[in-house]
Amino acid sequence: MIEFTNVGLRYGQGPEILKDLTFRIEPGSFHFLTGPSGSGKTSLLKLLLLSLKPTRGTVTMFGEDVSDLDQDRLLLMRRHIGIVFQEFRLLDHLTTFENVALPLRVLGQPEHHYRANVEELLDWVGLGERMHAHPALLSGGEKQRAAIARAVIGRPDILLADEPTGNLDPDLSVRLVTLFAELNRTGTTIILATHELTLLDNFAFPRMVLHGGELVFHEQGQTAGEARRS
Amino acid sequence: MSETMNEAVRPPTDAAPPPSRPARHRTTPIVPERSVAGRTLMLLIAIMTFLSAATLGGVVLVQKSAVAWSSDVGREVTIQIKPVEGEVMESNLRLAVSMAKATPGVASARALTLQESQDLLRPWLGEGLDLSTLEIPRLVTVQLSDPRDADVEKLANDLKSIKGASLDTHAAWRKQLNTMAGTVVISGIIALALIVAATVLAVIFATRGAMATNQEIVDVLHFIGASNGFIAGEFQGRFLMIGLRGGIIGGLAAILFFFVISLVAGNVSPTGAGAELGMLFGRFSIGYDGVAGIIAVVPVIAAMTAVTSRLTVRRFLSQIS
Repeated sequence: MIEFTNVGLRYGQGPEILKDLTFRIEPGSFHFLTGPSGSGKTSLLKLLLLSLKPTRGTVTMFGEDVSDLDQDRLLLMRRHIGIVFQEFRLLDHLTTFENVALPLRVLGQPEHHYRANVEELLDWVGLGERMHAHPALLSGGEKQRAAIARAVIGRPDILLADEPTGNLDPDLSVRLVTLFAELNRTGTTIILATHELTLLDNFAFPRMVLHGGELVFHEQGQTAGEARRS
Repeated sequence: MSETMNEAVRPPTDAAPPPSRPARHRTTPIVPERSVAGRTLMLLIAIMTFLSAATLGGVVLVQKSAVAWSSDVGREVTIQIKPVEGEVMESNLRLAVSMAKATPGVASARALTLQESQDLLRPWLGEGLDLSTLEIPRLVTVQLSDPRDADVEKLANDLKSIKGASLDTHAAWRKQLNTMAGTVVISGIIALALIVAATVLAVIFATRGAMATNQEIVDVLHFIGASNGFIAGEFQGRFLMIGLRGGIIGGLAAILFFFVISLVAGNVSPTGAGAELGMLFGRFSIGYDGVAGIIAVVPVIAAMTAVTSRLTVRRFLSQIS
């Protein structure tokens, strides 16, 4: 589904942020992406979101080399990728329902066509009773669940999450990652970036550890302590 | 790319949707109304629409007056007979009238009386002057039934037999009038073009400001898969409404302005002087076609606002893509 071959990335004439990344992500897998601040996690997610192109190497997604794609084709491919940010990035003037429905609205679907599905998804993430509330009235956990619902309402094949638990307390963070794990069980490929190693101890998913722009894979079941030592 | 997402979580889209909660009545615009400097831009567009409509109305007024005046003057020629020693003025006048009446295309001809001729000179020579002691030129006014068919050349030739007689077709006046009207029309078109250019620039600046204010919305729309066309459409819709409101306000103000002007012009001199002013400058009324022209300015301004904002957004998005 995703294949990186000798991928390097630099901004302008600056130093190389990502160096010789070569890896493959299989469909339906769940990976944590971790590493210290400044290690290049967000840059790697931007490559995966197709909002950046590598300065060298090849990125293949859904069987196509993304460097060969024009803007229209990139746009179509991006619609198969959902993204969740640490700072939620909900639109404050829209209700929770409207925020979650936004990806379907931009596709030109009429509200009566998607209303039932959005409501059901909001019920599933526990926001059924908050659908008419604006983001300013939601708690951090509610906002993040709304952001997740928005990311998955378009049925993406890949779901990327950039520090989704960064603004949540530890207990809520575990519950949120559990939500991602449930989504993964339905077939969605998930890459969740976080620097909270203690959070990872609760889950036995493989880890991609970035350090100094280089990537190391750790297989399923490895603990946070082992990842740190390696 | 496969559709693998959440079949267990949510029903497939082709399944009958379950009963849903009551729908909200209005979908919130993606670009919030308050995030665009709408009131300021609307006021600016209203002013620009008013100026466009006032310019257009002014051009229509001048054009109408010029056409009417030119047409009136063109339906009349004047025979002037200067006093010549040894000639009898009254018999020459009668001869000139009969020559005129015998000319094809002439509807009527009448010699002005001595009193009428003196009255015409009075405004230039002043009151209290005894004109009876002066030999003054006399005039014969000739009304043409159809200026195109009238044989004015034959009349001019016939008049050569009367000493001191000459024919004035007012051609120089008409030419000058048409030149003046043409100049006003061209000036109006240039003014309209400048107003349009200023409006376009203002909309470009306002759109750029709105894009900067709504950068977060643009980013969110981008990463959820919105096309540049969709994003541009959202901004275009917002600016179309601002353009329409501003245009309607400016257009209505212009129609009211011309209505008041026509009322004031009619009331200043309702008698003879007013009629003379009307003859000279027209009736200060733009008429139904002028009102229609002003109404037509409104959608043009609104559409121009919307298209300008769309092009600005598309350009902005293509630069950041």
